[in-house]
Amino acid sequence: MAKFDLNDDSLVVIIGSGAGGGTLANELAQKGIRSVVLEAGKRFKMSDIENDEWKMFGKISWLDKRYVEGPARLARDFPNLPAWIVKGVGGATVHWAGVAMRFQEHEFKMKTTNGTVPGANVLDWPISLQEMEPYYEKAENKMGVCGTKATGMPYHGKSSHYKVVAEGAKRIGAHCEQAHLAINTQPRDGRAACQVTGFCMQGCRFGAKWSTMYTEIPKAEATGNVEVRPESMVLRIEHDTNGKVNGVLYADGNGNQHFQKARIVAVAGNSIESPRMLLNSASNLFPNGLANSSGQVGQNYMTHTTGGVYAEFEKPVHMYKSTVVPGIVTEWQDNDPTRGHLAGYELEILHLGLPFMSAFLNPGKSGWGRELADSLANYDKMAGFWICGEDMPVESNNITLHPTEKDQYGLPVPVVYKTDHINDTRMRNHAYARSKELFESVGAIKVNDLPPYPASHNMGTNRMSEHARDGVVNRWGQTHDIDNLFVSDGSQFTTSGTENPTLTIVALAIRQADYIEDQMKKMNI
Amino acid sequence: MNNDKKVKRPKNSGHRMSRRGFLAGSGATLVGGAAIFSCTGLFAANSKAAQKIGEESNKTLLRMARDVFPHDDLEDKYYQQVMAPLAKRAETDPELMELLTVGVEALNQESRARYGTAYLRVETEEERVVVLKAIESSAFFQRIKGDLMMGIYNNPEIWAKFGYGGSSWELGGYINRGYDEIDWI
Repeated sequence: MAKFDLNDDSLVVIIGSGAGGGTLANELAQKGIRSVVLEAGKRFKMSDIENDEWKMFGKISWLDKRYVEGPARLARDFPNLPAWIVKGVGGATVHWAGVAMRFQEHEFKMKTTNGTVPGANVLDWPISLQEMEPYYEKAENKMGVCGTKATGMPYHGKSSHYKVVAEGAKRIGAHCEQAHLAINTQPRDGRAACQVTGFCMQGCRFGAKWSTMYTEIPKAEATGNVEVRPESMVLRIEHDTNGKVNGVLYADGNGNQHFQKARIVAVAGNSIESPRMLLNSASNLFPNGLANSSGQVGQNYMTHTTGGVYAEFEKPVHMYKSTVVPGIVTEWQDNDPTRGHLAGYELEILHLGLPFMSAFLNPGKSGWGRELADSLANYDKMAGFWICGEDMPVESNNITLHPTEKDQYGLPVPVVYKTDHINDTRMRNHAYARSKELFESVGAIKVNDLPPYPASHNMGTNRMSEHARDGVVNRWGQTHDIDNLFVSDGSQFTTSGTENPTLTIVALAIRQADYIEDQMKKMNI
Repeated sequence: MNNDKKVKRPKNSGHRMSRRGFLAGSGATLVGGAAIFSCTGLFAANSKAAQKIGEESNKTLLRMARDVFPHDDLEDKYYQQVMAPLAKRAETDPELMELLTVGVEALNQESRARYGTAYLRVETEEERVVVLKAIESSAFFQRIKGDLMMGIYNNPEIWAKFGYGGSSWELGGYINRGYDEIDWI
């Protein structure tokens, strides 16, 4: 495997190894472009993956100190855990449930679609669905998304959990379909078919689910063009006197600092760490942080409008005997303001194990007592949703640096401010009400509404914009201010869409790799 | 809960701090129900912790544990075994012992103020829940609640009673073991 010199200034330095960074590294590697991938977390082995919710949570989650601020319940229930993501090679693709849906056409132009939304900072993406389609196709093929033309792979079979929801949807006239999952239903691309362990979100023990941990990363390394350095926490991105980035200062697992020179730097540390790195890299030339002439670095933090709904029935469902997300009620995914809210949402059929159900059914200090215990005693008779809806970008929902407190690396602790826009609240209430109707139509004896839990979908804090004044990166994820600095993760998202972000992150990374190759050849960067 | 056959599972361990960090942090409607008086305590009677904390406090903690996550058909031993690691640590951790003894005192004080008697002798669950609700925000209550949540719902030994399967990869998942079976839909 490749090992590159710290003084090699011909390299692309990619920060993060998840959906964005891992994909970019492999795409560049296949084109013969060499990169170093700096990953803050460890490299896990397949044998580290266990079917145990809390064990895996403790093992792979990003648990460095963070603060959640704002009036939302999340700040009380989980004051130090805004996001539920991964610190390890593969990033959040180790944890994701595999849902791979394309954005809808209108979701790239929410400002044009709805006009100005009071209290929100809505903007059109500088790219269209039409432009993204070929890259979506490539992403579906790369990841192995079932139920698509790109792979020809059939859907997963209909689990008992799916059947309960599908029947409820039918009875209330709502559309429900099997989920497009980047989980093999047949052996494909050297990976096994899904065995339905029911633990997609704890890491797939069989590797049936696409994760850069065991797809893009080893493929990239096999080319000899990529060196992955785990346990490498980026402290700053440095630049030359002309304002071009020229390297990255990072701390290794022993706390020793190294400076890796670079021709190009691509930031892909997810929507809290990516803006944090740019803010931490403030200099005399860029006093507000790198690529922040717009003041939008760290702003417009979006998580999707979420919540949970778990219904209790008289008879067993055994929802855990299923892929985690076997299907989706797509009835309200469109933008129909007559519902009382803008944008759309998906009701994603999703199970939790008993351990997580006990923590999420009524999270926080008041989560105890007979009502909760009685519901948990009905665990095997539950079916439920995770609500995933478009989240309005609000400028004051943001990532900032703690004024005094530092983390184990000596970096200011990130402060995450997140609260609902009124549209989010209306959308969530609509979703709660429709879910209750759906479950009661199939005989639910009790329907529990769950508040949002720590976000696995984090977006928008380095957003893409046509004009430099409105955002951080252009249509290629290249920062408006610094030509050789890119953003390659979900922080690029201009708006959140209702779909799970990973497929779009991967499609954007494939597209970005083409652009980087072109610009390198032209010697523009 | 049902009585599915037990399947042997690996013992869990570690990550206590991160779990608590995750669980740190509020509203439930509580419904009273018949309480089963238990004459055993939370810590094993001969443990040092039980001797130190006193028999009365020991029984009070078990009553409290059963009121926090009441499963009437779950034997005392499961509640006791949740607290065993806590008891063990309290033997050598004066701060924890203080948290427990002062916590029980506060619980009884609250109980006497409301019902004129110690928590253990408050007859109905409904009334005891009022007392617990009053001390809900305390470090003592949250510690007991957090340990109980992990110890009961994350205990592979009793998952089968809740109809939860736990780890399945070593059994080949559910692809050939009934993932699509349901007889009432």
